Amino acid sequence: MADFAAKEIKAFAYRRSTIQKGYANQTLHVDLASADVVMKPVSEEMKEIFVGGKGFDLWLLWNSVRGTTRWNDPENAICIASGPLGGTPTYPGSGKSIVCSISPTTGSCIDSNVGGFFGPYLKFSGFDALEIKGKSERPTVLFVDGMNERIQILEVEGLPDEAHEISRILTDYFGQGKPRSISVVSTGPGAQHTLIGCLNFSWYDFKRSRSRLKQAGRGGIGTVFAEKGLKAIVARWDPVTLAMNDPADMETLKAVAKLHSQEIVEQDPKQNQMSSVGTAHLVTIMNDYDLLPTKNYRFGRDSRAPEMGQEVFRSLFDEGFDGCWIGCTLSCSHGIRDFVPFTGPYKGRKVFVDGPEYETIAGCGSNLGIFDPLFVVEMNFYCDTYGLDTISVGTGIAFAMECFELGLISAEDTGGMDLSFGNKEAALTALHQMATGKGFGATIGQGVRRMKEIFAREYGGDRLLMEDIGMEAKGLEFSEYMSKESLAQQGGYGLALKGPQHDEAWLIFLDMVHNFMPAFEQKAEALHWFPLFRTWFSLCGLCKLPWNDVTPPDNKQTAEPAKVMRHVEWYSQYFSAVTGRAVTPPDLIFMSERVYNFQRVLCLKMGFGRREHDTIPYRAMGPVSAEEYDSRADRYDGQLREVHHVDIEGKSTPEKVGLLRRLREERYELLKDAVYDRRGWTRDGIPTVATVKRLGIDFPEVLEVLKAHGVV
Amino acid sequence: MVKVGGRELAWREGMTIADALEALGDPYPYAVARIGERIVVAPGFATAAIPDGAEIFLLPLVAGG
Repeated sequence: MADFAAKEIKAFAYRRSTIQKGYANQTLHVDLASADVVMKPVSEEMKEIFVGGKGFDLWLLWNSVRGTTRWNDPENAICIASGPLGGTPTYPGSGKSIVCSISPTTGSCIDSNVGGFFGPYLKFSGFDALEIKGKSERPTVLFVDGMNERIQILEVEGLPDEAHEISRILTDYFGQGKPRSISVVSTGPGAQHTLIGCLNFSWYDFKRSRSRLKQAGRGGIGTVFAEKGLKAIVARWDPVTLAMNDPADMETLKAVAKLHSQEIVEQDPKQNQMSSVGTAHLVTIMNDYDLLPTKNYRFGRDSRAPEMGQEVFRSLFDEGFDGCWIGCTLSCSHGIRDFVPFTGPYKGRKVFVDGPEYETIAGCGSNLGIFDPLFVVEMNFYCDTYGLDTISVGTGIAFAMECFELGLISAEDTGGMDLSFGNKEAALTALHQMATGKGFGATIGQGVRRMKEIFAREYGGDRLLMEDIGMEAKGLEFSEYMSKESLAQQGGYGLALKGPQHDEAWLIFLDMVHNFMPAFEQKAEALHWFPLFRTWFSLCGLCKLPWNDVTPPDNKQTAEPAKVMRHVEWYSQYFSAVTGRAVTPPDLIFMSERVYNFQRVLCLKMGFGRREHDTIPYRAMGPVSAEEYDSRADRYDGQLREVHHVDIEGKSTPEKVGLLRRLREERYELLKDAVYDRRGWTRDGIPTVATVKRLGIDFPEVLEVLKAHGVV
Repeated sequence: MVKVGGRELAWREGMTIADALEALGDPYPYAVARIGERIVVAPGFATAAIPDGAEIFLLPLVAGG
């Protein structure tokens, strides 16, 4: 702390706007190169069409970038927003921030959502969204002080690179005795040396007297942040009350918030136990359904999975309130106190670890062929403090391990590392190398898409095989679910706008386990409704988990249990109560449909967003190797015979692999057709003019992009 | 006596989750059940024995984050 020094480059005094029905009605724009600070009004049209959150981010990003803009160009923006419902302290899950930028790994627009206090504090400080452009030549901190109506751009010295230290020091420095009034956005040294950097958003844990971290992990936004010379963005605000959002109908808001909050308190202990064990409960369930990725998604099950099950993590988690937003009764952000890393710069020191969640357990554990919970905790800690996305780190190392085992790369290429599955020491070494940019870990940190190019070009690796087993689409690494046996989930991953992240559509259970959607049209309908409703949360500043990880006791008796329609009704009431816009559930879908299609056109503007970009590796569709096929031969033989009516008598395993592949790839293409039709897109995956007109997003610049791609 | 999804049921030796659901006349296609810390997925309902006095929680559709 004694070494930390900050020098003011720019101070900007402003008059904080009063929040009106969930909106501050202005946005904040900062250019780090010129130190310009500008406020712009939010129009009624902008609220009507883009709602808030991700919608505002995308609109700001659209106006910031050209089709030729690359992730490290100064005009690329990092946009952060809450949403009109964000910051409501009594409604569970109302503290999300949504971040958008042009991604280093996909080259297109990426969005990532995250808990913590930043988004609400930014809004209460007077801004619905923040746009940061330009680059600073020296380490910079941006301070948005809503309490004193002042924005500062500071050059800093002596601030460490590691995220936990940055958050601790800046919370102390700016908090002035009120640490809960501070939220810090930062990244870490890994973001400077890889393309898979994440952002850490802090929230102050009053009981434990420490800043805790949540991550906007996907797509390398942390790398963009580091490239801009940013060390941190800090928001300061106090107090948080239900009245802060100026809700149009306080009584309805109180009533609906109480209903949802109480239901969670009553039902969560009987259901998924999110408040005591979080998403760690999924590990053994996924394993038992053959859905837990192991050894780079080759298999979905391993007998050692219970060694990382909910019982184990329940015993490791520190007891206490773990809500990443004030008053959230789901409170699923669990952590581990006094963990002592056994490698790296924190070796032998007690640290607090935020997590792990399911994705990290699967990505940095089972998918590497490792079933040691303490190893996963160590990977979790270092990914966070280095500013690295645990999903891309896990999926990236898993790919490198499979390439190593297949002989596509050798120990000579890895700097002597034995990257065999299960090698914990090698995985941690690779992670530490990502933080320094040295060694083979730095290559893994380029992401799976670039690894494929590097391995083929420099080491002579078999490119076609790597295309089959490299688990990325659009340049983004897959999140941690096996999609081989669920066509709908293949679409959920492949047709997601930003790349294969399950937050847009998670349909495995509906499709594979329950077989609720046997027809293409049913899958297409699911791939319409679910991505749109999930998008709606990101427009409003909300977390999705209270929607469907806890359900009403009688939910199963409803017509469509997967939609949890009572909660959808509550969300309609919540939106109406805050904003004063009377809406019904179909209106929520329409709001999202506008932004969803706009995002697809933004992808198109950036050179993506067509049918060819919705391709997924065959490993996501079926067995690539004879070993994978033979491990589930009864399943695959049965499907060839009974579903596809193929005579497999006398066929060798490689022949059957080929037959199944042709059929599954055909089905995936048919699914694309059905989904594009349902979404009102051309067969090339582009929204039609009629669709953008129906949605009211037929701005001249949108029509121009469509026209440039032959859609008139 | 056992409790299954909040409903009480007389226990008998060898009773499984599938038996209990049948006795309750509950045809819903549950995917996951929990007995204490023990997770049981649907294919295992027919063989997962319920101890006397146990409470079985029937988990909703696992919907992902």
